[in-house]
Amino acid sequence: MEVDSQEQLQRKQSTYLSLDENFEIQKEVYRGQQYSQIYFARLHMMRTLLYSLVPNWKSHLPVCTVLELEEGKECIIVGTLYKHMKLKPCILDEYSKERSVAPLIKPHNFMHQDDYLVLEDESGRVKLGGTKLSPSVYVTGVVVALHGKETSAGAFFVEDVLEAGLPPQIERPLKSREDKYVVFVSGLSIGSSSSNPLQFQLLVDHITGHLGDEEEQGLAAEIVHLVIVGNSVEISHGLLNGQNLASKDQSRLSEPFKELDILLTQIAASLPLDIMPGSSDPANFALPQQPLNRCLFPGSATYNTFRSCTNPHCFELDSIRFLGTSGQNIDDLTKYSEAKDKLDFLERTLRWRHLAPTAPNTLGCYPFTDRDPFLIDSCPDVYFVGNQEKYETRLLKGLEGQLVRLICIPRFCETGVAVVLNMRNLECHALTFGTQISS
Amino acid sequence: MATTSKNMNVFYRQKKNSSASTGKKSTKSPSPKHAATFGSDITQPPALVCHGGSLDLKDDFDEQEQVLRQFDMNMAYGPCVGITRLDRWERAQRMGLNPPKEIESLLRGGKVKLESLFDGRV
Repeated sequence: MEVDSQEQLQRKQSTYLSLDENFEIQKEVYRGQQYSQIYFARLHMMRTLLYSLVPNWKSHLPVCTVLELEEGKECIIVGTLYKHMKLKPCILDEYSKERSVAPLIKPHNFMHQDDYLVLEDESGRVKLGGTKLSPSVYVTGVVVALHGKETSAGAFFVEDVLEAGLPPQIERPLKSREDKYVVFVSGLSIGSSSSNPLQFQLLVDHITGHLGDEEEQGLAAEIVHLVIVGNSVEISHGLLNGQNLASKDQSRLSEPFKELDILLTQIAASLPLDIMPGSSDPANFALPQQPLNRCLFPGSATYNTFRSCTNPHCFELDSIRFLGTSGQNIDDLTKYSEAKDKLDFLERTLRWRHLAPTAPNTLGCYPFTDRDPFLIDSCPDVYFVGNQEKYETRLLKGLEGQLVRLICIPRFCETGVAVVLNMRNLECHALTFGTQISS
Repeated sequence: MATTSKNMNVFYRQKKNSSASTGKKSTKSPSPKHAATFGSDITQPPALVCHGGSLDLKDDFDEQEQVLRQFDMNMAYGPCVGITRLDRWERAQRMGLNPPKEIESLLRGGKVKLESLFDGRV
C-alpha cells in the first residue's frame, strides 16, 4: 500500500460572479426618509409588471385605481396588500389600561381567524372580501392584481387574483457538464453550548480532502465552493447585557471568532468560500445585512478565496444563478402566515417576486428611496434559505420552463447536516456528520 | 431693585380715573392697532411673529415655488417627505414617469428651495 501516491488530486474550479451590489448600502445616504419611499418603489415596479401581465389574464376588464372604484363595476385593481392582524404585537399595548399582571405571552404565530386583507395604492385603500384571497396565505407587502367589484358595503369582493409569478429565467448553456458540487452549511453557532467543534472540524476535513481514501478524496476534489449561510457565531447573551465587561470577559467575546477563523483558514486554503451574516452574527440588524468585517477573520481574510458577503446573497457559479438568505425572511413569513412546509414559503416569495415582502412592516429593513433591492428580476437556478429546522428540498417548475432548486438548509449545530448540490443536474443530497461513539 | 418710593411712578402708567359722569356715553374706541381681528389690515401682528425680524411673506407666494409645490404634491411621483426635490425628480425620471423638464431646470437653476415643502415641518 502506497502512503503517498505520485499524482496529486486537483480540485475542480468554476468561475464566480458576485451579484451582491444591489444589497450594499454603503452608497446610500440617510436624509430622514421614511418607509413610504421603499413602498412606492416596490408598488411602481410591481405595478408596471402586473399591468403588462393583465392583458394576458383578463383583457376585457378595465384597470382602475382604488379611488376610481364604483359600486358594481367589475374591474381590476393593483396595489399593495396589507393584512390587519388582531394578534400582531403593537407598541400601544404597553400603554393599554387593561394591562394584566401576567406578562404578555408571545405566540410563535400571530394569525387569527379574524384577520382581513386590505388593498392599498397611492389613492386609497379598500377592504377585501370574498374567499378567493385567503388571509392565511398572504402577508403585508405583497403586490397583486385583483379582479372583482365593489360591494354596497364599500368593500371589494375579490373574484380572482393575479400574482406576478416566477420571473423569467436566463437560459443556461446545455453543454454536458461534469459533476461539480457546492456545499451549503448554516447555523454553525460557534460559541454556543450546543455547538460541537468536532462536527465542524469533520466537515472541514472532509471538504479539504483530509479524510478518507483516494476515492473519497476524489469526491471531495469535485467540491468547488462552500457557502456558509449565516449564524456562524453565537455570543452568550450574558455578555451582551449592556454593562461594561471585565477584561477577562472581553476575551470571551472574541473567542468564538478566533475559533471560527481557525476553521475558515483551513477551508480558505483549500477552496473558495462565501460567508453570509445571520441574525446572531455581528452585522447590522436590518436587511440587507452587510458583509461581516474582514478584521474579524485575520487569518482567513488574507486568502483571495475568502469572500464576506451580504445577506441576501446572489452570485453565479459557471453561469448558474444562486440566490439565498440566512432565514430572516422565511422566519418572518412563518410568524405572519402559514403553509404546509418551509418550501411553500420559498415558492411563494418567488411567485410574488419579492424576497422579503414583510420588510419593512415586521422585518427590519433599510429605508431605500429609489429602489427595492428585494425584488427578484431574474429567476435563480438555486434558491436557498439557511437556519431552518430540517433539510428539505424541491425542484420547482415554472410555467415558462423555469427550473429552480429550492433548498432549506438546517442548522448545523443542531443537526450536523450540510447540503451538497450537484451543479450538473441541480440534484441535492445531505451530508451528515455524527460524533456519537456507539458502544 | 431698590428704588425710592418717589420713582415708583415711572413703573406704572398713571391713569386718570375717568369721571363717572352718567350722561356721557363713551364712544367705542377704534379696534387696537395690532389686533388680528376682522377689521384689521395687518395679517401678522408683530407680537405673534417670532422670526427674527424679517417677514417672509413674499417667498411663499413665489410663482416658481408654487410650481414646485405642485410637483411635490403630485402623487404619481411618490412621497415627497424625506427626499430632496431634485432626487425625487431624478428618481421619477429613472422610473420612466416622465416628470416635466421645466422642474429640473428650475431646480438646477439654484434660486429655489431644494427641499420639499414638508421639510423640517414633519
